[in-house]
Amino acid sequence: MKFIFCYLLLACIVFSETAPQYSVIDIPPPPTKFKNIQIDGLTFLPNGKLVVCLPSGEIFFRDNKGEKWELFAEGLHNPLGVLALSNSELIVTQRPELTRIRDLDGDGKADDYEVVTDQFGMSGNYHEFNFTPVRDTQGNYFFALGTGSSGDGVRSITRGTFNEKGRPGRMHSSAPYRGCIMKFTPDGKTIPYSYGHRTPNGLGFDLKGNLFVTDNQGDWVGSSKLFHVQQDRFYGHAASLAWKPGFNEVPIDSPVEKLAKLRTRACVVFPHGTMANSPTEVLAISKNANFGPFTGQLLVGEMNKPRIVRVMLENVDGELQGACVPFIDGSPLGRGCNRMAWAPDGSLFVGQTKHTWAGGQGIQQVSWNGKMPFEIQKMELTEDGFQFTFTQPVNREKAQKKETWPFFRYFFEYRKAYGSPRSAEEKVEVNNIHISKNAKVVKIRLTELKPWHIHEVNIQELTSQNGHTLSNNYIAYTLNRLLKNTPPEPLQIKKPKK
Amino acid sequence: MTFRSKPFILVFFLTTSGHLFGLSKEEILRKGKELYNGAGSCVACHMPDGMGQKGTIPPLAGSDWLKGGSARSIAISLRGLAGPIKVNGKQFYSAMPPQLLFDDQKLAYILSYVNNAWGNKEPIIDKEQVAQARKELPQDVFTPESLLKRFPFDKKYNRKNGTFTPTYDDMVSEITDPIIYRTFMPGASPAAFAVALPGNHYFCWDAGECRLRYVWTKGGFIRANQNHWSSNGKPVAQFNGVPYYRARTTQLNDQTFDELSRTNNQKPIYDTSEATDFPITLKGTREVPTYLGYRLVNGFPKFRYSLGKYVITELIRHNANKSGIQRTFTVSPTVQTTLHLTPTSQSTVSSNRGNLSPDGTLLITAEESNEFSVLIQPREEAN
Repeated sequence: MKFIFCYLLLACIVFSETAPQYSVIDIPPPPTKFKNIQIDGLTFLPNGKLVVCLPSGEIFFRDNKGEKWELFAEGLHNPLGVLALSNSELIVTQRPELTRIRDLDGDGKADDYEVVTDQFGMSGNYHEFNFTPVRDTQGNYFFALGTGSSGDGVRSITRGTFNEKGRPGRMHSSAPYRGCIMKFTPDGKTIPYSYGHRTPNGLGFDLKGNLFVTDNQGDWVGSSKLFHVQQDRFYGHAASLAWKPGFNEVPIDSPVEKLAKLRTRACVVFPHGTMANSPTEVLAISKNANFGPFTGQLLVGEMNKPRIVRVMLENVDGELQGACVPFIDGSPLGRGCNRMAWAPDGSLFVGQTKHTWAGGQGIQQVSWNGKMPFEIQKMELTEDGFQFTFTQPVNREKAQKKETWPFFRYFFEYRKAYGSPRSAEEKVEVNNIHISKNAKVVKIRLTELKPWHIHEVNIQELTSQNGHTLSNNYIAYTLNRLLKNTPPEPLQIKKPKK
Repeated sequence: MTFRSKPFILVFFLTTSGHLFGLSKEEILRKGKELYNGAGSCVACHMPDGMGQKGTIPPLAGSDWLKGGSARSIAISLRGLAGPIKVNGKQFYSAMPPQLLFDDQKLAYILSYVNNAWGNKEPIIDKEQVAQARKELPQDVFTPESLLKRFPFDKKYNRKNGTFTPTYDDMVSEITDPIIYRTFMPGASPAAFAVALPGNHYFCWDAGECRLRYVWTKGGFIRANQNHWSSNGKPVAQFNGVPYYRARTTQLNDQTFDELSRTNNQKPIYDTSEATDFPITLKGTREVPTYLGYRLVNGFPKFRYSLGKYVITELIRHNANKSGIQRTFTVSPTVQTTLHLTPTSQSTVSSNRGNLSPDGTLLITAEESNEFSVLIQPREEAN
C-alpha cells in the first residue's frame, strides 16, 4: 500500500520556483570583525536605516544610500531578534535577557544596556535560545524561549530555580520557562504566556493582531508547525509543562493520551521534507509591503532550503487554520532565511543564518516588479472540498481535468520520538471541478473531506490563459476543522514501546 | 575598541662576533644555545624547554613546522610571521617579529640549535644560507599563507593546513579601549560578562548574581577561538591566565576553571535562586540583588543592580597607572554598607573610604556610601 502511494507521489511533478516577477539580490554585508555574517536579527529604524544583529553580538545600522555600515552596539550574547522603538532605541532578545539598548548621548553608538526582563532561567545549555521580541498594540512584549538539548547538559551554575522534572528528555526544560512564549507587561510582570514549544524560532503578528510562532520538527513535533499563540495553551512539546501550574508530573513520563488531549493543534503544519524542515520568523504581508496581491497573508522563512513560505489562514469553526505554499523559492535566494522585514520601499529584506545547522549567511533583498505573477492567491475550505483563487485566469481546459488535482491526505503522529512519518497517507479522489466565470476561482469537490488531516496537492501542469506556468504548484492545507459538524479530535498518538 | 600590536623589545647580549669556520657541531650548538637563552631572546617567548605557550607561542620542540623546512625557519626569523597558525595540530595566534638584531652567523647558530635541541633532528644551518635568504626574501612580514605558499610543507610529512581561520582576532595585543562581551564564562552563571581593560586587566562579572567573579592579567583575554561567534553558542570561553583575584563564594569549593567550564552536567552545583553569599550587605535589608543593566562611561561598564529599595552602581575601570582594577560604587539612597572582599596572596585590596579589615570586610558609613572605590592589584605588579 505504502509503496503505491510513494509511486503516485513521485509521478506528480513538483514545480516550485520564484515567480519571474520577483527578483533577489545580495546586500553587501556589514564589516564585522568576527568574519561571519550570519544574520540573527533584522529590522528597519523609523528613519529607514537597516538594522542587523550578528552572532558576534554586534548590531549594525546601514545608511539609506546603502553605502555605509555603522556599528551601533556590541558585546551582546547571541542576539536573536531586534525591534526598533526609535532611531536610537532598540529592544533585543539576547540569551540572558530582553534588553533595551539606547544611544543616550547622540553619538550614534549605544551606551545604555538596560534589562527589560531577565525573569526566566538559563541552564547554560547551548540550545536555550531567546528568540524574536515582538510588541503588541498595548505595549506588551512577547519573546520565545528555546528548550535545552540532550546534545549537551547544564552548566555548573544555572540561573533560576532548577527543576528536575523538566530535565529528562531529548529537549529539556530544567530552567524556568524554557519552551514557553513569554509575555512582559507594561506594568513590569514577566509571565509564561503559552507552553509546549520546542524551538520557537520566530514570533510574529498578523494584521489583525493574532500572535503566531513556528516550531521545528523533533521530539513531540511530528513535522514543523505554525501555532496561533493564545494564553495558557499547551502546544505539544512536553518539557515546559514542568512550569505549568497544576501540572505536577514529570512531563515526559505523563501518558501520551493525556498530553494529546491537553494540546492545541497547529493552525498550519509544514510537511517535513517537502515544505519546510526548520521554519523561522513569521512576517505579515503588511499594507506597506510592495509584494503582490497577498496583503494580510504571512511569510515564514525556512532554514534548510532556499525558501520563503507563504501562509494563508481562515477562521473555521472558531479556530484559525489554513494552507502553506512555497513562494520565494530556490536560487538566487540563499538558504537559512531566518529574519525578515519590510524595507521603506516595500521590498523584503531577508537575513540568513545557520549556527552549525543547515542554512546560509548574508542579507538579501527580494523585490516585486509590480506585474502580476501567476500564483495561488488563496486556498479556502468549502463544505465538500477546497476553493482555489488564482492571481490570473486559468486555462479552463487544463483546470477542468481531474488529473490536474492529485490530492493526498495524511497526518503526523503525536509522539515523544523525533519527528513522525506520514501516517495513513491516501489519495483523495476529485469528484467535481467548477471554474468561475472570470476563470480565477476553481472549486474542487472531493469525494471525502477528512478533518484532522493535512490535505496537499501538486497541481499538475496548470497554466494561465496567457500560457504562463503556475510558479508554485505545491500547497498543503492543514484541515483540522470542517465548516460544520467537526467530529471530535482524534489523538493520533504513537505510544512509546515498552 | 582597537588592538595595537605590543612593541616587541629584544634585549640580548652583544658577544664578539665570530666568523669562525670549522667549528664542531657541539660548538655550534653550544653557541646557538647561549644565544637562544640570552636575556630577552628567543627563550622569553619560546621558553627554555622549547615548549612555547598555550594558544600564543608555538612550541619549537617537536614542531612539525621545522621538519624539512630549514628555508622556512630562516624566512620566519628574518622577516617575521603574523597570523593564525596550526602547529602539531594546535592553534596559535600571535606575531613573531623579524629578528633584525642577529647577524647571519648568529641566526645560523640559533637555528642550528633549535633544529637539534629537545629531540629535534634537523640539519645544521650555515651563515651562507641565512645571507642568501636575507638578500632574496621579500621585505614584508610573512602571513601564514604567504609563507606556506613560498615554503610549502613537504608532502611526506602529511601536513595539510598550517593555518586556520580565527573567528575572533585575539592576537596578543595591548588593550587600549575597554572590550565588553557577554558570553559563557567558567565559574559564573550563564549570564556572564568578560571585560578587558587598558593595562590588560581582564575580569568576569556575573549578571546572574550581580557580582565580580575574578580578575586576571596574564595570558591574554578570553580565547574565543572555540568558534563561539560562529557556532551554535555552546562553547564556554577560555583564558590562559590564572586570576589574581577570585571572589570568595561558599557555594563553590576548589573546582578548577576547567571543571567549571563543563556544559554536560546532569545537575548544577547550585542555581542562582539558591545563591546565599552576595558580597554586599546594606543595613536593614536582606533582599537578593536584581540586575538592572549597565551603562558605558567612556567605554567602561557601569553595572547597575538593586537590593530592595536601594540601587547600587559599580563602575569598573583600570586605575591611573594601569596596575589594577578600580571598582567605584554608589549606593542610592545612601545607607551603611558592608562589602566582603577577598584578599589573597596574589593580590592587594584597598579602599579610598571606610574601614577595611584584614579579612576583607570593608565597612562604609551611610555618608561614604554615596561614592567609594576599591582597588584590586596583582601583587607583583603593585610594587
